[in-house]
Amino acid sequence: MNRFLGRIVWALISILAAVAMGVIVQSRGEPVNSLWLIVASVCTYLVGYRFYGCFLAARVMALDDQRATPAERLRDGHDFEPTNRWIVLGHHFAAIAGPGPLVGPTLAAQFGYLPGALWIIVGAVLGGAVQDFVVLFGSIRRDGKSLGQMAREEIGEIGGFTALITVLLIMIILLAVVALVVVNALKGSPWGTFTIAATMPIAVFMGFYLRYWRPGKVLECSALGFVLVMASIFGGQAISNSATLAPWFTYSGVALALALIIYGFFASALPVWMLLAPRGYLSTFVKLGVVFLLAAGILFVRPQLQLAPFTRFVDGTGPIFAGKIFPFCFITIACGAVSGFHALISSGTTPKLLAKERHALSVGYGSMLLESFVAMMALIAAASLQPGVFFAVNSPAGIVGATPAAATATITNWGFPVTPADMETLASDVGEKSLYFRTGGAPSLALGMAHIFVGSSGGRAFLGFWYHFAIMFEALFILTILDAGTRVGRFMLQELLGHVSPKLGRTNWMPGIMLTSAAVVAAWGYFLYQGVRDPLGGINSLWPLFGISNQLLAAIALCVATTILIKMHGARYMWVTCVPLSWLVVVCFTAGWQKIFAAAPALGFLAQADQLAAGPQTAETAALIFNARLDAAVTGVFMVLVTTILIDSIRIWVGILRGTREATLTESPFVLSRLAEEV
Amino acid sequence: MKRFLGTLMAILREIADENAYQRHLKVHGAVHSGEEWRRFCDEHWNATARRPRCC
Repeated sequence: MNRFLGRIVWALISILAAVAMGVIVQSRGEPVNSLWLIVASVCTYLVGYRFYGCFLAARVMALDDQRATPAERLRDGHDFEPTNRWIVLGHHFAAIAGPGPLVGPTLAAQFGYLPGALWIIVGAVLGGAVQDFVVLFGSIRRDGKSLGQMAREEIGEIGGFTALITVLLIMIILLAVVALVVVNALKGSPWGTFTIAATMPIAVFMGFYLRYWRPGKVLECSALGFVLVMASIFGGQAISNSATLAPWFTYSGVALALALIIYGFFASALPVWMLLAPRGYLSTFVKLGVVFLLAAGILFVRPQLQLAPFTRFVDGTGPIFAGKIFPFCFITIACGAVSGFHALISSGTTPKLLAKERHALSVGYGSMLLESFVAMMALIAAASLQPGVFFAVNSPAGIVGATPAAATATITNWGFPVTPADMETLASDVGEKSLYFRTGGAPSLALGMAHIFVGSSGGRAFLGFWYHFAIMFEALFILTILDAGTRVGRFMLQELLGHVSPKLGRTNWMPGIMLTSAAVVAAWGYFLYQGVRDPLGGINSLWPLFGISNQLLAAIALCVATTILIKMHGARYMWVTCVPLSWLVVVCFTAGWQKIFAAAPALGFLAQADQLAAGPQTAETAALIFNARLDAAVTGVFMVLVTTILIDSIRIWVGILRGTREATLTESPFVLSRLAEEV
Repeated sequence: MKRFLGTLMAILREIADENAYQRHLKVHGAVHSGEEWRRFCDEHWNATARRPRCC
C-alpha cells in the first residue's frame, strides 16, 4: 500500500513539474508568475534526486554503508571526522555557494528568463550535480584525495600538472571578475562604499574579540559582527545624506580597484585570525541568512516576471555581453548549473567528514540542487525588474550612450521602455545619485532583491535600506572570496616556486609571503584594472573568460570521473559523465573559439585589437590592444590545457575499452565500518 | 521542532568551528583556555585558508 501511495505521489510531482515547465515554455506575451519557475525547478529537482540521483548511488557507484569512509578509517579529530549528514551538507553548501549563482543568471537574463531557467534546471540535474557527486564518491574511495591527486593517479602526471595550472589560472580570472563586480557596485556610491569599508574594521575587531577577549565564542562574536554591519548600513545612509562626508566615500572605478588591490595584498599577508577568519564566519552566516530570506520573500510576494521568455538579444547583439544564446548562455551561468570549482570542494574537506558512503548522495548531489535553486531565485529577482531598468543598470555607456537621455532612448528603441525620470526616481528611492552603467549584475540583482523584500515587509520607504543590505551581502561575500582566494593562490604559487627555490616555498618566510602575495594580487589586479578601464564595461570580456575557464575545469573533473567509471564498469555507465562532458567541451570550445577569432569586435578579442589598431593611436589604445590580445592568449591557454587532459584521458579510455591497458582502480581497500547507523 | 532546532544549532556550531574546537579538546585531552583556543585556531585556520572556496 505504501509503495503504491509512493508511486502516486511521485507521479503527481512529475506531472506538476511537466505542467509548470509547460506553462513557462508556452507563455508568450503575458507576464508569468515566478511561482511557476519555483514549482518547475523544485519538482524537477525532487524527481532528479529521487530517480537519477538514487540510480547513480545504487547502480553506478554502488555506495556501500558497510564500507568504512576515510572519516572513520583515518579519524584524527581534525581533518577526518565522521560527522552528521545534515551538518556536512550545511558545510558543503556554504562552501560551494558563492556569488557565481547570483551574478551569472542575472547577466544571462539579457536573453530572457527562459534559456537561463532551463539551463539552470537541466544543467544541474544532469551535469553539475552528477559532477559533484561522482567526484565526491571518487575522493571518498581514495582517502579524501584532491582532484589534482586523482587526476595524477587515474590519468597520469600530465593530467595532474594540467589540473594544478588550470586551477591557478582560473583563480586569477575569478578574483579579477568578482572584484570588478564589487567595484561596479560601489563606484560613485558613498552609502555602499562606507558600508563595505566599515566591514573591514568590524572584521578586525571580531578577530581580536575572538582571539583575546572571548576565545572560542564564534557564534556570539558573529552575532555581534552582524549587528555592527547592520548599523553600518544605517551609518552609510547618514554619510550619503551629508554634504560634508559623502565626498569622502565617493570614488571612481579606478580608485576603488586600487583600494581592492591593496586590500587583497594585506588580506593575503596578514595573519588569518585578524581578518580572513572572522570575515569568513560573518560572510557565511549572512549568506545563508539572505538565501533563506530571499526564498521566503519570493514565496510570499510571488512576483510577476517582467522580462520576456526570450529577448531580441538571443542573436548575439546584447549590451551586457556579446555573443549568441549558444554558447554564451551556458558559459555565463556556470555556478548554478555546472561549476568546475565545486570539484575542488567535493575533493577537499567534504569527503573527510562523511560518516557513511550513502550520505554522498544528499551532500554531493543534493547540495548542487540547492545551489541551482539559489541561481533560480537570482534569475527571478532579475527578471521581475522592469526590463528597461534592468538594461539601463547593466548596459555600459560605450554601448547605450554616455548620457541618461541617450541611454534611455537606445534602450527604449530596443523595445524596453524606460525614461530618465524613471531612473532618477528609482535612484533617489534607493539613496543613490545614479543607477546607470552599473555593469556586473550586482546592482540589478540588489534592486530585484530589494523589491522582493519591500514587497514582503516594510513598504517602499525601506527600498534604500534593502538595496544597500543586498549590496552589502553581495560585496561582503565577494570580498571573502577575494581575500581567501588570494591567499589560496599565494599558497599554490609558493608550492610551484618551492620546486625552484625551497625558500620561496616556505609559508613562514615573510619575504616569500610578501613576494608571492604581491605576485598573485598583481595578476588579478591587472585583469581588474583592465576591466575597469574597458569602454565596454569589463564584464563583456572578463565574465565569459571566467565562465569558459570554470566550465573547462568541470570538463577536467568529468574526465577524471569518466576514467573512474570506465575503470569500474567498462563502457556501461560512461554516458553518465560523458554526456555532460561532451556538452561542456562543445560549449567551451565554441565559446573560446568565438572569443578569440570572431570577426565582430564586440565579441572577438583579436578583432577588437585589430579595430583599435586601425584607429588613432594613444597610450590608452595601446594598452587596450595589449589587453585584448592578452585575453585571447589566456583563452587559448585554457583551451590547450584542457585539450591536453582530454586527449590524455581519451587515450586511457580507449586503451581500457580495447583491453590494451589494465583498468587499475586506485581505491583504498575495503574495511568494514563499525560506526553506528545514527551518525 | 526541537529536533530541527537542535540540528540547526549543530549546523551553525559546525560552520562556526565550535564543534571542531570541542573535537580538538577531546582528541588532545585538553580543557578550554585562551591559549588552547589560539593553538586550535592557528592550526585549523591555517589549514582552512589553503582550501579554495567556490565562486
